[in-house]
Formats: sequence, structure tokens, C-alpha cells
Amino acid sequence: MSGILCFLAWSLLAQNKVLFDSATADYNQGNYNAAVEKYQKILESGMHSAELYYNLGNSYYKLNQIAPSIYYYEKGLLLAPNDPEIKNNLAFARNMTLDDIEPLPKTTLSRITAQLTGLMTFDQWAYLAVGCMILFVLLYIAYYFLRYASHKRLAFVLSMVCLVFSLATVMISYIQYERYEADQPAIIFAGEAAVKSEPNTRSQDAFKLHEGTKVKVLETLNDWKKIELADGSTGWIPQKDLKMLKDF
Amino acid sequence: MKQALFTYLFAVVTCLLPIIGCYAQDKDAVTFEVNLSKDKLGVNERLRVDFTMNKDGDNFSPPDFEGFRVVMGPSQSISSSWINGVRSYSKTYSYTLAPTARGNFTIDQATIVIDGQTYKSLPKKVEVTAAVDKPNDEMTVDDVADESLHLVAEVSKTDPYLNEAVSVVYKLFVSPSVTVSNFRPLDNPTYNNFWSQDMPVTRYDVQNGTYDGKSYRYVVLKRVVLYPQKSGELEIEPLSLDVTVEVPTNKRDFFGGRVYSQANKTVSAGRRTIEVKPLPEEGKPANFGGAVGDFDFSVRTTKTDLNASESLQALVEVKGKGNLKLFQLPDPSLPGSLEVYEPEFEENVHTTLSGMQGKVSNSYTIVPSYKGKYPIPPISFSYFDPDKGTYNTLTSDEIMINVLEGPTAGATAGNPSPERTEKQSVVTAGSQFHFIKLQPNLIPKGSLRFFATKEFYLWLLTPLLLIPFAILFGKKREAIARDVAGNKIKRANKLARKYLSKAKRELGNKEAFYIALEKALHNYLKAKLKIETSEFSKDKIASLLTERQVDDATSEGFIGLLSNCEMARYSPFSNVQMQQDYNKASEVISSMDKQL
Repeated sequence: MSGILCFLAWSLLAQNKVLFDSATADYNQGNYNAAVEKYQKILESGMHSAELYYNLGNSYYKLNQIAPSIYYYEKGLLLAPNDPEIKNNLAFARNMTLDDIEPLPKTTLSRITAQLTGLMTFDQWAYLAVGCMILFVLLYIAYYFLRYASHKRLAFVLSMVCLVFSLATVMISYIQYERYEADQPAIIFAGEAAVKSEPNTRSQDAFKLHEGTKVKVLETLNDWKKIELADGSTGWIPQKDLKMLKDF
Repeated sequence: MKQALFTYLFAVVTCLLPIIGCYAQDKDAVTFEVNLSKDKLGVNERLRVDFTMNKDGDNFSPPDFEGFRVVMGPSQSISSSWINGVRSYSKTYSYTLAPTARGNFTIDQATIVIDGQTYKSLPKKVEVTAAVDKPNDEMTVDDVADESLHLVAEVSKTDPYLNEAVSVVYKLFVSPSVTVSNFRPLDNPTYNNFWSQDMPVTRYDVQNGTYDGKSYRYVVLKRVVLYPQKSGELEIEPLSLDVTVEVPTNKRDFFGGRVYSQANKTVSAGRRTIEVKPLPEEGKPANFGGAVGDFDFSVRTTKTDLNASESLQALVEVKGKGNLKLFQLPDPSLPGSLEVYEPEFEENVHTTLSGMQGKVSNSYTIVPSYKGKYPIPPISFSYFDPDKGTYNTLTSDEIMINVLEGPTAGATAGNPSPERTEKQSVVTAGSQFHFIKLQPNLIPKGSLRFFATKEFYLWLLTPLLLIPFAILFGKKREAIARDVAGNKIKRANKLARKYLSKAKRELGNKEAFYIALEKALHNYLKAKLKIETSEFSKDKIASLLTERQVDDATSEGFIGLLSNCEMARYSPFSNVQMQQDYNKASEVISSMDKQL
């Protein structure tokens, strides 16, 4: 049974690799539509990667489809938050968007923490925490068994540093995780979307958004989503006008 | 009666002799008729009665005109003419009567004898009413002026849509009998609720036209194009003119020319109301900006490929017929990263009676600062077509502006935190758009998270358990080190295990056991004293051992064991003895180990 599963997984992988390579060839020849189709097929098979999303974003950019291009770049960034190539091409795609949103200024403290915690994903922080914990235990045991006082002192100090570091990384990981869970970004897909002040069609237009703009979803009511922009303004928008980034 | 009979006879004659009858009708028909100037008159008016016959007769006797007083008459008039050889003749007796009372009166029959026959006229009824304001006797100069001057406002359409052009032309009709010497407008209408454009008349051209079926001359005084700004019934205020007219009188001057008398008349075009229809709500596009007419819409850019910090013009233009000045041009939504200046508005519109015509345009100057592609999305322009009564929406094509050379957006980058969503915040590492990646590195979706899972906590906390374990282990080791006697035994056991393990295995098998035991003892010494096998002999061993200050008992035991081994090869040894030798060997080795 497991043999069959193994074989299936292997054949799927091989098949996807073939699709991926032929999509690369298509892209290079300028058949962006064909490339997009193949990438989407790979996605449908249940596999993904930052690279795949990045390539999709590139293909859509070449097709001048702003919203899907930004959408897939952002997805790629979710998997690989610090990939310089994705960031670079995303900046190109963002140039095409119509909305220019001035972000709220941040305090220095929150900027520093964001910068620090943003260095790695929460999983990477978690691995670091485990590593530090193991190091702490080893150093503490060494402290216990070492004979010379100077060695003992060194081992103890190092072990305490490791413990503090481990606890700190667990905390950072937790903060990152909480933020990741709370942050529900979405990309506007409608060419022009009217953002309402209430979740119904009768209410007034609060403002207008155009495709490709990234928003944060705060709440959901029926078919309406409450969104927040980087400049802090909020409003309600029909669900069909946007696409959630975290749907995997 | 006679007349009726005559008509009857005449009818019979015409039936029998149709051809001759034609002549007979003209030659022989005698008519004697009465004509009244009116059937109904005020008591202060006058009535004229004419008795007309077509053959001369005698003995005319008028009726007695009961209820009237003869003011004038009878007066006779005769006219006779030859036309194409046919003679026509008429003779008229006229009376002018003034009523003496109100009521219904009858003008009775008059009689005359023509060719020996007596003819009678038909009686006529007249109604005399109360006095009228203005007896019609004499036309005053004002009356004539009134009748011969008409100011008319011609409205091109009385039921326009909101914002549909309506033209109003003011024409002054003047009868040929009077002449206009001067006019000046008294009151220029203000067109409330209209957007109006006046088309000034520079030259008054006199044209011929008809008014009320009569021929008149007319002058166009004023032409206005109106765009109603409100739906419902709207009133166009009248235009009033003060006109000086010269009216001919019946008087003549010395030379026989007519004497004209001057009169000032105020004429005004009547109030006109027009019913403005609101634009239909059905099918009204969301972006409808009030444009009504027939338009063309285009969006153009001067170039699509350029370098950063060069400029290009985007032109949004509406061309056609309609209320061009009265609506806003649609704004293009341009990418926020482009520098766009205030548009320059340009209009080239001329107004005719059918409305405004021409084009209006907004010209945007755009300066891109960064390299990349910038789409100008399609712009929609909606207008209402009043002729078809429907809305039309025109949509321009999307224009893609390619900025080929220039700095990238990264130049103004702030700090790169993944939460930032604004433009130009993300660092662009290079100056070009990167190619796709070649390695898929695919992983299954729904990737496994590590943080906050069971595995994570296990990995994090199990190492901590190692600490108490290690401490316990260390404690135990220390205790063992402190226990001396136990240590001795332990060491002996350890040494024995090391050297006598083979011998122990052969326990019970005499020959093999003692060979192994001897070898073990030799090995032990070799290891301890570092001597070669060739030098081995009991004496040598004994001397070596004393040299190393091993006590006699141990040394003797060792030597004894070696001799036992040699002996055992040739003599029977029991199992019990073997066990004893083994134990002894281990004892000797351990005690010797301490002393060496």
C-alpha cells in the first residue's frame, strides 16, 4: 500500500517537474498564457512553493494582469518572506497599481521589533529556540561536571545566556505566530471596488480601491469583509471583489 | 315662392335640354338677393344691408326695417362688365341702419319687378345685443398697428430632455401695409433654469413669410440656444419690444399721397412653456456625468515608450454635438506612482441653432519617475442620446506606458518590513525585472507548521529532563568513587574480566583452561612489566617481581599458579581445582596490580 502511495507521490513529483520545465520554456518564448496554465495545473495537484508563486506572478506581470501578479508575489512572500527577487519584482508590479496609500507612521520601537521579528519566520524562530535549549542543557551539565572554577564559571554564564536566548526566541516566535494568525491580507481583484461604510449596498461609499491593492481583512459578515488599509482607513467590501492570500 | 318655382322649372329645363340649358342659365337666370354685413351686432353699431340683382328692374320697394333707423340710403350702385363676351351686371341698393333697440329683428322682404315679373328677397334675422366696447366703425391707427405687428418666439422643441438643446428664434412679423421706423427692446428675458447661449444678430435681413395665412415681411431679432437645467414645466419669459410704426391713414395730402401717422406699439412674444422631460432612470450608467447629445470619445497619449523623467501627454477628448460645456470630462485613473500634473482644459466649441458643436479635451502631463510598466486603464464616458432616448457608453482602450530607462522604485525605499503595503517601500535589489526561477522545490500544500505543535514542545522541554538525570548520574559516580573496599573488588573483577575472560570460558575443559590461564598470566605481566615473551622463565619472573617490590606471598602465588599450569598438562586436575585456580589467579592479579 505504502509502496503504491510512494510511487504515486514520485510520479506526481516527476510529472510536476516536467510541467514546470515546459512552463519555463513557454515563459522564455513569451507564451505566458501557456505558462500560467501549467503553473496552475501544478497548484491544482496540491503542491506549491515560493518559486512557483513567484513564476506565476512573473507570468501575470508579463500579461499585464496586475491583481493576479501581485497576488502570487505576495503568496510567494508568505512562504519566503525575505526573497530579494520576489521583493524586486513585486515592486515592479506595484508600480502598475492605481492606489497610492500613505501608510501610518510607526513608532521606532514597533519598527525595530517588526524588523527583528521579521528576520525569520516563526517556525525558524522555533527551531532556533529548540537548538538554544539543547545547548543550554549541555552547557549546564558541563558546568556541573567541570572541575576548575574558571571553566565552571564560563560554562554557567554561557548556559544562562543560552536559556535566556531560547526563551526570547520562543517569545518572538509566539509574537510572530500571533501576528501571522491575526493578519489576513487580501488583494483587490475588482478593477474598481467601492468600499462602503456599512456591509450593505445602501450605505455610502467610503472610498474607492483599484485592483492590486493589498488590504487587511478584519471581520466578515455574510458576503462582506471589513478591511483596513495601510493608512488606517476601514470599510466594507463585497467578498467577490477581493481574494484572500492565506488560502493554503 | 316664385323663385323656388323658377328653380324647379329651371331644373326641368336643364334635364331636358342640358346643352341649351347652360346658356339659358347665364342669360335668363334672375337673382335678387339680400346681404347683411353681420347677423349680430351691438346696439351702438351699424348694419349695412345690400339688395343685389343681376338685371335691372323697376318699382323697388324696400322693407320697412322694423327696429332700425335708416341712417343712410338707399344708395344705388351699378356695375357692368364684359368678360370673354359674357356680360355680367349687378345693381345694388344699399342702406345703412342703426338699431333702435335690443332684441331679435327681421329684415323683411323687398320686392322688385324685373321683366314684368315680381321678385321678392328672403327675410333675414338680426340679433341686436348690448353695446360693444369698440364699435367697428373706424379703425384707429393703434388698431391697425396692432393687427399688422406680431412678435413670435419660435421654439424648436417643446418637449426636450433635460440638457437637450432648444433653440428660440424671435421674429417680428410686419404687415406690408405699415412700415417700421424704429424698435428697441424693453425687456430682455432672463432664462431662469436654462443655460443659454445668445447668437447675436448682426444684420437685420428682411425676409418674406406668411403669418396666419397672410403674407408678411419678417425680421429675425434674436436667436438663443437654451439647455434646460431642470425638469418639469419651464417658462420662457417673453421678449418685449417698443416699436415705432407708421400707419397709412385715409387722409391724403395735397399731392394725393397718403398721410402716415406714427404710433408707438409695445409688442411682446407670448409666454412659452416647455415641458422638460427628465432623463430616464432606467439604464442610467453609474458614471453618467450629464452629457446629452451625440459624442465621440477618445483617450490618447503622445508616446507609449519613454525614459523616466521625460514627459508625455495624455489627452482625454470628447467630440460631437451636445451640451459640451455642461459636463465634466471623465478623469483617468492613473497609477499612483506616476507624477501627474493638473490637466489643461481646452475647448473648441461653436454654437449653432441646433446646439453646441466641437470638442472639449483635458490634456494631462505625466512624468514617470521610475522604470517599469504603467497601465492607463480603460476610461468610460457615458452620454444620453436624446434622439434615440437611450444611454450610450464609450470605453477607451487600455494604454500601456513603458518606461525603458531610469531608476527603479527602490531608490526611495524605506525600511523593508513585510507588513508594509505602500508603494515603493519594498527594496528592489537590482535594476531590472528578474527572470523566473528554474527550480520548483515543490512541497505539499497545507505545509506543516512546527511552532506550537506537540513536537515543538517535546523538543523544547525534553532536554531539560537531561539535567536531573545527569546530576543523579554524577552523584552516583561520586559515591562509587568514595567506596574503597568495593572498589578493590570491582577493580579485581575488572582485571580478571580483562585477562581471564578466555580462561573463564574454558572452565571445565582442563587443557584449554590451563593454556588460556598461562597465557593470560603472561599477557598480564607483559602488559604490566613490558617484557618480551622469550625472556619468560619462573626465575626471571620472580626476580622481576621482587625488583618491583611485590610482596612475597603475591609473588609466590603467581609463580605457584604458573607451575600449576605447567603441571596440569600432565596430571589430572578436577573441576573444583580449576575453579580454585581461577579465583586465585584473579586475586593474585588484583593484588599485584595494586603493588605494581
